[in-house]
Amino acid sequence: MIEPSIFMDEVNERQGTFQRRAFLLGGGFGVGLIALGGRLAHLQLLDANRYKKLSEHNQFQFLLTPPPRGLILDRNGVVLASNRPDFRLLLAKDDHVDIDATLANLTTLVPMDEARLRRLRADIDAAPRKAPVALVEDMTWEEFSRINVRAPELPGVTADMGEVRVYPYAGAFAHVIGYVAKVSAKDVTKTGPNAEPILLNPGFRIGKQGVEKAFDLQLRGTAGARKVEVDVKGRVVRHDPAGDIAAIPGAPIQLTLDADIQNRGLEIFGEDSGAAVMMDCRSGDILCLLSAPSFDANRFVKGLTSVEYQALSGYDRKPLYDKALSATYPPGSTFKTMVSLAALESGVDPELKRVCHGSWPYGGRIWHCDKVHGAVNMHDAIKTSCDIYFYQTALAVGPDKIAAMARQFGLGELFDIGIPGQRPGLVPDPEYKRRHFPKDPVWHGGETPSFGIGQGYLNLNALQLCVMCARLANGATALQPRLIHSIGGVVQPSGAQAPALPVAKAHLALVRAAMASVVNDPGGTAYTNVNSRLNLGPIKMAGKTGTAQAHSYGAGSRNTANLAWSLKDHAWFIAFAPYDDPRYAVSVLVEHGGFGAAAAAPKAAELLRVALLKDADIRARITAPPPPPTPVVAEKPAPVSAT
Amino acid sequence: MTASAITQEGERDRLVVKLGQIDWTFCLFITGIAAAGALVLYSIAGGSWSPWAGRHLILFGVCFALMIGLALVDLRVWFALAYPIYGIGVLLLLAVAVIGHSTLGAQRWLDIGPIRLQPSEIIKVGLVLALARFYHSLSARNARLSWWLLIPAAMIGLPAAIVAHQPDLGTAILIAATGGLIMIMAGLSLRVVGAGLLALVAIVPPMFMFVLKAYQRARLLTFLNPEADRTGSGYHIIQSKIALGSGGLLGKGFGLGTQSQLNFLPEKSTDFIFSSMAEEFGFVGCAVILALYAGVIFMALRMASIAHSHFGRLSAAGVTATFALCVMINGAMVMGLAPVVGVPMPLLSYGGTVMITMMVGFALVLSVRVHRYSEVTRGGGAIL
Repeated sequence: MIEPSIFMDEVNERQGTFQRRAFLLGGGFGVGLIALGGRLAHLQLLDANRYKKLSEHNQFQFLLTPPPRGLILDRNGVVLASNRPDFRLLLAKDDHVDIDATLANLTTLVPMDEARLRRLRADIDAAPRKAPVALVEDMTWEEFSRINVRAPELPGVTADMGEVRVYPYAGAFAHVIGYVAKVSAKDVTKTGPNAEPILLNPGFRIGKQGVEKAFDLQLRGTAGARKVEVDVKGRVVRHDPAGDIAAIPGAPIQLTLDADIQNRGLEIFGEDSGAAVMMDCRSGDILCLLSAPSFDANRFVKGLTSVEYQALSGYDRKPLYDKALSATYPPGSTFKTMVSLAALESGVDPELKRVCHGSWPYGGRIWHCDKVHGAVNMHDAIKTSCDIYFYQTALAVGPDKIAAMARQFGLGELFDIGIPGQRPGLVPDPEYKRRHFPKDPVWHGGETPSFGIGQGYLNLNALQLCVMCARLANGATALQPRLIHSIGGVVQPSGAQAPALPVAKAHLALVRAAMASVVNDPGGTAYTNVNSRLNLGPIKMAGKTGTAQAHSYGAGSRNTANLAWSLKDHAWFIAFAPYDDPRYAVSVLVEHGGFGAAAAAPKAAELLRVALLKDADIRARITAPPPPPTPVVAEKPAPVSAT
Repeated sequence: MTASAITQEGERDRLVVKLGQIDWTFCLFITGIAAAGALVLYSIAGGSWSPWAGRHLILFGVCFALMIGLALVDLRVWFALAYPIYGIGVLLLLAVAVIGHSTLGAQRWLDIGPIRLQPSEIIKVGLVLALARFYHSLSARNARLSWWLLIPAAMIGLPAAIVAHQPDLGTAILIAATGGLIMIMAGLSLRVVGAGLLALVAIVPPMFMFVLKAYQRARLLTFLNPEADRTGSGYHIIQSKIALGSGGLLGKGFGLGTQSQLNFLPEKSTDFIFSSMAEEFGFVGCAVILALYAGVIFMALRMASIAHSHFGRLSAAGVTATFALCVMINGAMVMGLAPVVGVPMPLLSYGGTVMITMMVGFALVLSVRVHRYSEVTRGGGAIL
């Protein structure tokens, strides 16, 4: 030992103590390190799987991918609503993004006016946290690529390709199919399918009207997801395609409508206001369900500006209003078919003649007819639409029986056609007055003649009149209208599976024969107008005109030529064809169109022509040499003269 | 240069002899840890030398050269500078308390021109030196139990109190624990040690209630139940445990640590670098690093125990205690065994001042070995 020491024993004692305690300390540190190792083993070996899951939960997120919305097809597979690609810009609402600066930069690339910027700001503020907001939709490819190039100047903005709903026929199906539009706050519910997070996806659209609304869930499909790796701020770092969950596309919905007929309908209406409904009177399929004028449903997908909306809602032809289902009108003389059947069923002799002098005093007032028809039986009364005959017949039968017959034919009924918006209208009877008019609960005698010519409280929609006409033509079953052919390939029950029509076949035949005379025999109300006829050779149609007052004339002239549009009568025409083997029934309403024969009948004839010419059997009959007549109605020879 | 050369006075002052006496295995171990740190820093920067890995390596290289240089400095110089370094450290701590730069709510830095000085690091080395020097002159009996022991108690208590006031609870505990361990190794009566531990247990609840700051209390409570505050204080512990646990046996692989790469792990380059490493290299990688740490600690303790001077023994053991306590505290913290306190993993964590402190400390340990046969005059420096 070289160490010089003054207190050798002391030094040795200190050294010995140090050695022992350093050894203990080393042991303590050893134990400590082993404890750490044990803890590591616990975390990394025993609990590793649990922490691996937690780590993946941190690392990966599933970004929703909206499912392609189901197509809407017509009966022949023509696409009525589909989807097209949409180049758009999304803004991620991130705390680190200066939204004002980004918008200012954006306006240099995509011109935007003040109003649009304000709307955008409101959209951004209203969007939920973390949910991206669509800044610009429907960009052209040039705009899209220009912005992609300059993306670094727009922090938080990403370009992406979505899908947007498109209605290739714009207006023709707007009321039936409806449209999709931006999800509004009140669309989102706390539970159920409308609580799905996909509703918050930018650009997601929800059905707001018609088929789009009624079958929104079926059309919507199920959202898929993209598996992406995100950092702690939620920014996407990588995409892991193997982990993606495919979206399930929405189910296609096939309608019973025929695009050719429906489109032609919108064309022939032009700026006329009204509705046209056509049914197949063998199956009950609705081939045409049109309200005119219409609007471009695609505008609603983008979001209507207030100016556009005001223009649409301010137009007195009311393009947004569904006149086929939601509007009800008095049916006018088309209702005489029901009065006739009620009379026949209650034993009135159809050959009983009533005399028409052009006017008839009853109940203290004068009841008018538009002509002096002389003595007319039922057939001629229908053919010439003699009001006097039906005033008196209605009085003879009574309102209860007429109302009951009307209801047998679907009048006043709400049909289960799958889409919302039908209004039932009203088939009045004394019971109705008793219940709804506490101050005057009596059906007055003077109300029955009005009822007999389809006026008064009677109010019906165009679908009901088409169903009435189809049941008349079918003659056997109380056909139900069907609009939805199939949902996702599942065919819906046919409208022909319906109870029998409890009316004697002979009575129906008589009314049908009279309706044939309306169109085809001289003196018929629709005979004089050449456009009201089919002109399809052997194929004949049967119909009934109707002219319903839109306002009370009082004692004044019923000449409507000089009246303002909104005061003119509503024109109705119901028809079916071919007369001898009915296939198609139609009802046409022209609002304030004046006389039914002039305004509505040509439209009905044209619609029937389109339908008939698409039908191979009918085409064969038109081109074939005339076969020996085999009239369906044998009880009473129809006064149809082909020559 | 033979083993006997070092025992020959005159011969042992030759530079070559001194260099030969440096424990190069020890140097290899600390280089291994620092290199592992650089590897992890390179990975978590997304495979880049900047911002951390490159600077970490450069700093380590500079510090390594400094360590070798200081290891050659005669132990008597260390002895002579012990009190001055301690005194300067305490004065700087007081200066920081008065004019220090406030960072993250804690006054820890002192800006002197371009240099950002952290006096709490100086005091770590200064306290070890000063206590070793004090005990060098104290008899075994007095070191066991006497009124003289109030002096080292005050030497520990003063800087610990100032640092705790900054507030930097982790460093304060580290300083107090290191001082305590030096006192124990110097021969403090084990009865006093036991009584002290009991007193500590008794003093913790009132300390917790009245002395700790709100955020310190929150951290301690969160440590006890991290799930209670998933996004606040508990977030650090939860994310660190996820990083560790998801590493599994072999880890996710170099550059593939999702917790660190995607920034779910906070302080991934400094206090929680062990978690970053554990995620990518798994239990196997952690075991290797812990083995390196164990090697460093035991080699350093061995160097301390072969010194002939009491000053050398205690100073080397004190540095070892500081180092080992850092490893334990940080390890326990990232594994959810201890509250989150700002104690980095020495050599592995990125951060300049801690690295300098540790390397200077190791220089002292190496110097103790190189000069293990040197005479250190009791009571005063012969050179200075």
